[in-house]
Amino acid sequence: MREHVVTREMIANPKSKYGNPKAATRHFFLQRLSGVSNIVFTLFLVFIVVRLAGEGRADVVGLLGNPLVGIPFAILFAIVAFHMRIGMNEVIEDYVSEERTNRLTMALNAFFALAVGLVGVVSILKIVFWG
Amino acid sequence: MAARPRPTSPHLSIYRFTITMTMSIVHRATGIANYAGTVLLAAWLAAAAWGEDALNVVNTIYGSWFGMIVLFGYTWSLLHHMLGGIRHFVWDLGYGFEPGQREGLAWANLIASVVLTLLVWTLFVWMA
Repeated sequence: MREHVVTREMIANPKSKYGNPKAATRHFFLQRLSGVSNIVFTLFLVFIVVRLAGEGRADVVGLLGNPLVGIPFAILFAIVAFHMRIGMNEVIEDYVSEERTNRLTMALNAFFALAVGLVGVVSILKIVFWG
Repeated sequence: MAARPRPTSPHLSIYRFTITMTMSIVHRATGIANYAGTVLLAAWLAAAAWGEDALNVVNTIYGSWFGMIVLFGYTWSLLHHMLGGIRHFVWDLGYGFEPGQREGLAWANLIASVVLTLLVWTLFVWMA
C-alpha cells in the first residue's frame, strides 16, 4: 500500500524510483497469508452453509453457537474482510490514478471492508455468546 | 546520455486473448464479485443474530429463483478465486511456469471451478 499516486511520467522516467519496497513486500506476504486462511474459510463456509441454508434460527444457533465452530468462523471472517481490503486496494491502484479520487476510493474501501467485517464478526459472536 | 523511457503497459485491446490472460482477468473479476458477495453472507449472519423474523425474510429472498441464481454464481466465483489463488501458490513455489504448464494450470482452474460448483450444488442442493 503506497503513500502517493504513481503517475505515467514517473513510470516512463527510467531515473525515477517509485513505490515502497517494504510495503509492497508486506502486501504480497499478507495477501498470500490471508489467502491460505481463506481456503480454510471457503471449505468451512461450504460446511456451514450446507448444514444451515434455509434453516430456522434454532439450527443456526445450534451450529454457529458452538464456540468451536463460531469462534474460528468469526476469526476467518475477519481475515476475509482484510483480504478484501488489500485486494480491492490493488484494483484501485491500477485504475484510479487521480490523487484525490484515489485517496477517497481507498478510504471508502477501508470503510466498506471494516463495516462488512464488523457486521459478520459481531453477528457470529452474538450468536456464540447470547444465542 | 538520453535515456529511453521505461515502457508503459498498453491496455487490453491490443492483445490476442489467451487462456492465461483470460483467467488472470477472471481472477480479478471474481475477487471483485466476492467482495460484493460477502455482503450476502454478512446479511445472512446479521439476520440470524437479529431474530427469527429477519432470518425468515433473508431465507425467503435467498431461496427464491433469483436468489438461487445469485448464490450459484457466488459459489462459482468463490471457488474460482480460491483455485486461482492456489494456482498463484504453485507459481510462488516456483513451479508451473513452462509453456504448456501455464495453459494447463489456467484450463484446470476453469474446469475445476465449474466441476466443483456443480458438485457442491448437485450433492447439497439438488439431491438434498
